Amino acid sequence: MELSAIMKDKLNAGDNVVALHEGVLLQGWSPKAHRLLALVERNLSFGLFVFTTSRNPPQAFTDLTINFVVPIDSDFKCDIDSLSAESNSDIYINLSARNFKLFMGMDSGHETNHFFNELSRSMDLYLKNQQTLDFQWLKKYNINDIDLELGLMMNINGDNTSNNIITANMAVAENDISFPTGTQTLSSRESVIQRQMILSEEQYTNAQNFRIYIGTWNVNGQPTLSSLNDWLTCDSEPPDIYAIGFQELDLSKEAFLFNDSPREEEWLQAVTKSLNSKGNYKKVSLVRLVGMMLIVFVKNKHMDHVKNVATDTVGTGIMGKLGNKGGVAVRMDFHNTSLCFVNTHLAAHVEEYERRNQDYQNICSRMVFSNFIPPKTVKDHNQVYWFGDLNYRITEMDAISVKDLVRKNNFKNVLEADQLKQQHRAGNVFKGYKEGSINFLPTYKYDPGTNDWDSSEKNRAPAWCDRILWRGNSIKQLAYRSHPNLLISDHKPVSALFESEVRVVDLTKYRKIHEHIMKKLDKAENEYLPQVMVDNTEIIFHNVKFMEPQLKELTVANTGQVPVQFEFIKKLDDSTYCKEWLRIEPFMSFIDPGEKCDITLEVLIDKKSAYKMISGQDKLYDILVLHLDGGKDIFITVTGNYERSCFGCSLETLCYLKVPIKNIPFGKLMELENNKSNMTSDPYPVPKEVWYLVDHLYRHGLKQEHLFEHSGLRSEFVQIRNWLDNGTPDALPGSVHSVAEALLILLDSTSEPIIPYNLHATCLSAVSYYSQCKQIISQLPERSKNVFLYLCAFLQELLNHVNDNKLDVKTIASVFGEIFIRDPPRSRSDKSGHTRTSMSRKKTNFVYHFLVNDQSDLIINTSF
Amino acid sequence: MANRAVPQRPNGQTPGKICQFKLVLLGESSVGKSSLVLRFVKGQFHEYQESTIGAAFLTQTIHLNDVAVKFEIWDTAGQERYHSLAPMYYRGAQAAIVVYDITNQDTFERAKNWVKELQRQATPGIVIALAGNKLDLNTMRSVQTDESQTYAYENGLLFMETSAKTSANVTEIFKAIAEKLPKNETTNTAGQGRRLVESEGANKSLSSCCK
Repeated sequence: MELSAIMKDKLNAGDNVVALHEGVLLQGWSPKAHRLLALVERNLSFGLFVFTTSRNPPQAFTDLTINFVVPIDSDFKCDIDSLSAESNSDIYINLSARNFKLFMGMDSGHETNHFFNELSRSMDLYLKNQQTLDFQWLKKYNINDIDLELGLMMNINGDNTSNNIITANMAVAENDISFPTGTQTLSSRESVIQRQMILSEEQYTNAQNFRIYIGTWNVNGQPTLSSLNDWLTCDSEPPDIYAIGFQELDLSKEAFLFNDSPREEEWLQAVTKSLNSKGNYKKVSLVRLVGMMLIVFVKNKHMDHVKNVATDTVGTGIMGKLGNKGGVAVRMDFHNTSLCFVNTHLAAHVEEYERRNQDYQNICSRMVFSNFIPPKTVKDHNQVYWFGDLNYRITEMDAISVKDLVRKNNFKNVLEADQLKQQHRAGNVFKGYKEGSINFLPTYKYDPGTNDWDSSEKNRAPAWCDRILWRGNSIKQLAYRSHPNLLISDHKPVSALFESEVRVVDLTKYRKIHEHIMKKLDKAENEYLPQVMVDNTEIIFHNVKFMEPQLKELTVANTGQVPVQFEFIKKLDDSTYCKEWLRIEPFMSFIDPGEKCDITLEVLIDKKSAYKMISGQDKLYDILVLHLDGGKDIFITVTGNYERSCFGCSLETLCYLKVPIKNIPFGKLMELENNKSNMTSDPYPVPKEVWYLVDHLYRHGLKQEHLFEHSGLRSEFVQIRNWLDNGTPDALPGSVHSVAEALLILLDSTSEPIIPYNLHATCLSAVSYYSQCKQIISQLPERSKNVFLYLCAFLQELLNHVNDNKLDVKTIASVFGEIFIRDPPRSRSDKSGHTRTSMSRKKTNFVYHFLVNDQSDLIINTSF
Repeated sequence: MANRAVPQRPNGQTPGKICQFKLVLLGESSVGKSSLVLRFVKGQFHEYQESTIGAAFLTQTIHLNDVAVKFEIWDTAGQERYHSLAPMYYRGAQAAIVVYDITNQDTFERAKNWVKELQRQATPGIVIALAGNKLDLNTMRSVQTDESQTYAYENGLLFMETSAKTSANVTEIFKAIAEKLPKNETTNTAGQGRRLVESEGANKSLSSCCK
């Protein structure tokens, strides 16, 4: 199901999911905390929902838990930052509202952009409709206080941000470890450090004042002048930064159609020559769109502190696109402050102030520095200087009055009629921008080459078309003036000098803060590592007996502050995390802080492992590695002693044992098993244990129905095993069924079956021919052959009583076929069911021969 | 929207660079491996430090001039019976501190064996430091400084005598390792709590990990 559809199920009817996106909480850095954000709408009011997911991706609405719901109203704020200008870097989002702050990281990309476009649209919509909106519907989502504590809350008023983040981390972690971790590779530690550095900017930067010179001139397509000193070097002290904008640099068709102009180079030369000679300048950037050109210079010595320079152009001219009108911009980071210079040429004509407003809006929205993720716009800068031929005129006053008043330096009254002042005051344009007071003559329109007002018949009122505005804190305008001595154009150049405060990094302090943050992170990281107490790291199993499981418990208590995921892990070259005779339940799990988990260890030495214990191939010893996800490992040693038993011994060994196995030292057994013993006495022809069991069955079980078909009792098996291993004078205990099963288990527990593994295949291919089968039997090791023939003789006898015991030769052949012709270890699992059936049939057939034919010829050669 | 610039790295320097390395401590039991780590990471010392049964994990960052070196420290159990598990921790490690007790010659011999094992089986190019711990028990010394110094020199090891108790040379030895580790590449091989099991880490030549 689509995620949005799943989410819709979670929401109340009538509430619409507008956009959704996944992110990672950055309050914490240890476990990744995924959250789903959804923008939900009802009757044009919006809410931001934060979800946790118990499955990733969620499959049903029950996988979603609403953590938090925030109305998108005047308290809602959303800041987006990218770590760098690199295109694939992660971005982070700072969302805040009343008592709510959420800092998240997201991967950059189309979906993220879409989500935030929708989010800003919803914020805009709120501003438009705020009077009519109703957020009551959000209250229907009952979010209890516990959820609020789960890491989404941060005290906004807290003064020590680092502490806040640590608190949040703890809370976040509490809920998070159970989430499947996604594939996002947000380097949260780096992000947190970066973010922390930004938050502590004040502590490692100093405010330092720099002089910024802004110049603007509509040159009316005129060729350049030899000296622009009157304009650009009018201050004795050289500024730190020059941003110089031109309009109508080139009115030629070529410039318009191909954006190609020789004037660009000419004017650049002229400007470069005319910069204050007391300073050495370097060009940072030049950007031109048709006739609009902007050049930014900084003093050479500051070049190292200029970073992330980018430019963009916006045409708002013909058809709202072409570059005869519009703007060009240069942005840069200067030390730790971002600057943006925007040079614009807005729509012309006296009455068109609304189009000028519109041009401004268009430039604001379309001027995008897209090499940043997310892209930066003009307003995403600490300081913006906006200037150019803004083209606002004087209306509501006739030309004669204007000329008269300005001649008397009575600018104030004229400025009352200035469209820009009016529109600015009305909030229609340049919201948030300031302009210095104008104490210079209107800059337009003059007869070129003179300081005389335009003498054409239009007789327009002179106006301050050329303006400089700014936005940002701690910017002081030192001068705002025109330069009437430059005569070539119908406009006069204008300039402004600013003293602007820039955050300059103090490297020593920066390092100190950086170190401090890293230390805090280390501390927090170590503190929030998973911690557990294990009640026992030495598990000892005493007197483990064949086929008798033993259990021990191990308690793992989460003593740390975060949930723990533990898992028993494989050692380097092992294929499993514990030996085959051990079972661990559970072998992985989660434990919440303060909680415990009981782990059961079960040891069972069965027919697969018994012979290894007897022969010394294996012992009751294992070291388990209990790994805490994201943290340490704990070693748990499992030891114990295994009580030797005839089960698991080879038939050969058993034949040499004339006393109960209990009385045979372990070392001796091992020697026997490894054929290293020099046994002098003659072995028994068949193991006494086999004889005891068969003899018992012969005497008590020949007429027993379903012998070898019914299973025995576990408790009786234990008694029979003890009787065989300890050798007590009493009669063999247990029912005949249990005795029969003991016999089968005894034969099935040897390291090699009666038909040895190396004859397994030969044996199966011989089943069609009794003579070949006999051939194989005659090749068997003596003790195996004895046992085989002895058992066949007994089974033949058993089958003589089918009237009583209702046994069937095929069934008996099948039971013993599996025992005599045991599959080599690990071969069974990789055979298909079909192959297994056919193998079973062959084994049955093999044994069948020996149950229905007389074997006196074989037996003759055998010494019982 | 955002109106704070990302911090500039002054003069083109990058003091924000973090290099991450996996470091493992090896050595006989009770020579003070955990104590060294505890002193380094938390500035603490416990006279009766519990025996480590397993492999403890902690992280700590050291600041060199322009780089922060973050160590992911695996403090292993010293008891002989856990010896076979040690490769799980030194595989993929870029640095190792082999610790002995200056009052106990046997632990020094054991340390030499660890060095041999590391040189044979750990990541090629692993930075190995030899730490003669318990310098506070100088009066009971049985391993002479000269002897260890010579051995370390011959085997290309960093060497310091340390005291987790007095904190002598503790930060210094980690710092010396941090300085010796290559910090010029851009990949990051160590991850928190992540180990390089199988042959993945063993075959990889030492790569540093500046992010």
